[in-house]
Amino acid sequence: MKLLHKIVASIGLITLATLTWGSAQAQTKELVVGSSATYRPFAYESPSKEIVGYDVDMIKAIAQKAGLKIKIVNTPWTGIFAALNNGDLDLVISGVTINDKRKQSYDFTTPYFEARQLIAVHSNSSAKGLKDLAGKKIGVVTGSTGDDMASREFGKTNPDIRRFESTPVVMSELANNGLDAAIGDNGVIAFRAQEHKQLKTVSDPGFPKEYFGIVVKQGNKALQDKLNAGLAAVKADGSYAQIYKKWFLAEAPALPAQ
Amino acid sequence: MEQVLWFGWFRADIISEYGVLFWRGLQMTIAVTLLCIVQGTALGLSIGMARVAEARHAPARQICHYALRWPSSVYVSFFRGTPLFVQILLIHFAVLPLFINPTDGLLISGEAARELKQNYGAFLSGIVALTLNAGAYISEIFRAGIQSIDKGQVEASRSLGLSFARTMYHVVLPQAFRRMLPPLGNNAISLLKDSSLISAIGLAELAYAARTVAGAYSRYWEPYLTISLMYWVLTLGLAYLVKKLEARYGRGDSR
Repeated sequence: MKLLHKIVASIGLITLATLTWGSAQAQTKELVVGSSATYRPFAYESPSKEIVGYDVDMIKAIAQKAGLKIKIVNTPWTGIFAALNNGDLDLVISGVTINDKRKQSYDFTTPYFEARQLIAVHSNSSAKGLKDLAGKKIGVVTGSTGDDMASREFGKTNPDIRRFESTPVVMSELANNGLDAAIGDNGVIAFRAQEHKQLKTVSDPGFPKEYFGIVVKQGNKALQDKLNAGLAAVKADGSYAQIYKKWFLAEAPALPAQ
Repeated sequence: MEQVLWFGWFRADIISEYGVLFWRGLQMTIAVTLLCIVQGTALGLSIGMARVAEARHAPARQICHYALRWPSSVYVSFFRGTPLFVQILLIHFAVLPLFINPTDGLLISGEAARELKQNYGAFLSGIVALTLNAGAYISEIFRAGIQSIDKGQVEASRSLGLSFARTMYHVVLPQAFRRMLPPLGNNAISLLKDSSLISAIGLAELAYAARTVAGAYSRYWEPYLTISLMYWVLTLGLAYLVKKLEARYGRGDSR
């Protein structure tokens, strides 16, 4: 009988402990951050299966300043906005360019990275810019800014535009001679192009200056404000410049506060 | 372009905006499916025969065992035992560049290889992967069909002096074919659906069209519902065809 009492008492204690621990957890609710980890050097999986990169360092610094607890989940790019919409993710930091079309459906923080589109071609190519790619096979990531640029210039249903799931696939296809050119965000394209010695990059001065922002669900003003405050603090205390230098080996450009 | 709403939520305008992509995608899906059904059946027939090849005396007996039955078993086991998606990626990014490469292709190299890769690279890899995969499954259908015919018939035909090949052609295969029609029809339908996996290597078929629209608008109902209906209509058509064929060739059994 005594044993039974002990068992019952200990089960009760364990339950109580679990419950109090659970409620303590609930108070500092972990925010789920989606990032597509095929985007070196912004976000990629290290050999130890950790997600690392510029985006990851930035969101960690921002969360620390804003007093938020975060958990980063590797989410495929194609489904990332759907996951944000249905509540699987609280925010997305995945090299997302701020543009008007996206602003209709989501809310963005202030910029955390200055981006430009960059073209990668074979080193014997004579292309000087986007216009020279007419009639060439161009690889882009589905729905990316590069896709947008190519679609606007050459028509969105043009069969010369080849769409893929991720930048590494586009770049392997280019290196394998399946494509003439690839268009993508400067950070990633430059990094991937230097991996293949038969490729080079071309920057088109006509490409507009763009910014990456952190994405939250439309109307989630509370989270947006917290993230903006955290981002402002990260920029002010020099951690932004430090993180930028770590990943891009260059001085950080000043970012607009809007 | 102006927004067109159907039933209050279905943005029909974004589908018509990319209409060309869906139309060309539909044609591509049908072309890939038909090509792979024909080639896969031919490949499956030869592999299926190789799997049941038997001979009584040396050296034909050893040849059947080591040169026909054994390699065909390994082939079938590999293509049934690995995901089709992985096979497609393997063939497109690893195997094909070995054979078709501008610098040092084993089969085709130089400018011709570049042209071929850029215009038909994904198409070629997709067809090869899907055919090899379907061949493995279809060979099992043939093997089962052949083995389901009573052994006595082969023995009777051989004792009447027909060769192995003529026994197969005149006695076994006509009967086996009837029994193989329903599973072959199933296989054709899976082929049609599996062709959507080729969009991963950038082949512009139906799934690619939907993915493009979803990527551009971040809307998922419209593109994926549209292609679901298109696939459904296609599989219904295929199923109808198979039923017709069964009615025509199944007559012999139910006389």
